[in-house]
Amino acid sequence: MPVGFLRVAAAATCACVVVVGVLLLHRYRLEGRLLQADPVAIPGNARLMSFARGRGEALFANHCATCHGAAGAGDTARGIPDLTDADWLYGTGSIGDIEQVVDYGIRSYHPKAWNLAIMPAYGTAHPSARDGKIPPLSPGNIRDLVAYLWYRQGRDTSHGSDTDATAVARGAALFAGAGGCYDCHASDAKGDPAIGAPNLTDRITLYGDGSREALTQSISYGRAGVCPAWVGKLSPAAIREVAVYVYALSRGAPE
Amino acid sequence: MTNLDRSNSTLSGSRRSFVLLGFGALTGLVLAGYALFTARGTSTLIVPPEDVALVNQQPVARSDYLLQLQTLYGVDLAHATSDQRRKVLDDMIREELFVQRGKELDVASTDPDVRSAMVNAVESEMAADAISAQPTEQQLRDYFAAHRDRYVSEGIMTVRDLMFDPTDAAAAAQAALSLASTAPTPALLARWHARASTAVGDEEFYFAAKIHLGDSLFDVAKDLANGTASVPIRRADAIHVLYMVSNHRPVPTDFAAARDRVLADYRNESISHLRAGDEAFLRKRATVLIADDLR
Repeated sequence: MPVGFLRVAAAATCACVVVVGVLLLHRYRLEGRLLQADPVAIPGNARLMSFARGRGEALFANHCATCHGAAGAGDTARGIPDLTDADWLYGTGSIGDIEQVVDYGIRSYHPKAWNLAIMPAYGTAHPSARDGKIPPLSPGNIRDLVAYLWYRQGRDTSHGSDTDATAVARGAALFAGAGGCYDCHASDAKGDPAIGAPNLTDRITLYGDGSREALTQSISYGRAGVCPAWVGKLSPAAIREVAVYVYALSRGAPE
Repeated sequence: MTNLDRSNSTLSGSRRSFVLLGFGALTGLVLAGYALFTARGTSTLIVPPEDVALVNQQPVARSDYLLQLQTLYGVDLAHATSDQRRKVLDDMIREELFVQRGKELDVASTDPDVRSAMVNAVESEMAADAISAQPTEQQLRDYFAAHRDRYVSEGIMTVRDLMFDPTDAAAAAQAALSLASTAPTPALLARWHARASTAVGDEEFYFAAKIHLGDSLFDVAKDLANGTASVPIRRADAIHVLYMVSNHRPVPTDFAAARDRVLADYRNESISHLRAGDEAFLRKRATVLIADDLR
């Protein structure tokens, strides 16, 4: 083999190694900056946003799209939240809050997971496995609660012969009293993002179409969606990249 | 080419080779150094960017630090004062030091709270593995098909429990006959010297009716059609005649409506299997000696 060819090959190899090394170093530095950045400040840093969003998109497609869908639009038939709107069940939708969900999950059995609130199954003999004091409700109670929720959402509350004000009033009393709904959803029914209790006064639904049937189903059989914890499975940088991507999704489609 | 030219060319070529070789070696060293200082479990003097501190090489995660800041002071990093930052960091380092000391002292062998926490943590770890595996829709449908009987709606009934004096079987029999064509009214009850139990009467789920009526009366009630009455049922306290106002029997739920429960049951079963398997593995690899008197 000619000596000249070997030299060129060696030089090319070295050049490739150098290029790869430089790229790796560059990536490492950007990852480091991304991780060290205050999550609140990341959206203001176009370079970091662009870097993280691009990588986060691929990670999202590989790890999250199975449930959340490729576009992150969710699926109310399966209780998968829409990540493209600005409505957040857990936290406020900041990169830090999203990162915490990606890190530790929801009811994922990770000790740091969001797992305080579980919607009891009021139409069963034992509504809550955690809290034995939560009493079951009767079918009439559940109808009244649904009437109250529809009223709070500004929907038509007339339903057959039992309408309106009486059912709504009974539902309101249950909500604030024996039903114990206020405990998680707050006395104004606007929910509590600190524990993942949804706002019941808007028409954004996590499960079903917001119909009486869907609400009855939720109250009767309870809800407890799950998101796995990714800490230990994805690198810290990858988790933050996914969080940045989801943050960008919620504020309009990523470029 | 003269000998001198050849000699110069050879010298220049070997110099280039050495330079390239050296460059290659340097690149290799840089890459090795990078790998060495960033690999997990490697002793290092550099705090990785995802951490805020290393305590005896044990990382204190930046995300935990930020969360702690938020929890304690309700501020993000940008708005935290230097005192707040230092306090949180000091607390986290202290905690890590004490945890490490706890391991050295093997507190788990003596402290029941630590033991309990460790057992719970290991159980949760096993469950977390099961949670990570997302079942396919087909797996869920297969599970649903295999456990079809679990996914039925809760029955709903409105039943009246008419109680007659244990010595007045004739009135109870007469009432049972009459109730085939008419609903019980206060006047009828008065005529039969019967009273309606207050335990039932409102619309309620089957499980509630079962509690209120008792198992044996409920077993009779659930088979009654709307507007029909049971035969007299003699119990220690009274003779009962049940009148069914309305009975919505449990009906099978379709997959779409039951999916959420199917998924939860599927996951719970997976967790149970995984825990049982892990426990079996732990027992298998352990050397457990049991005292003679307890064998």
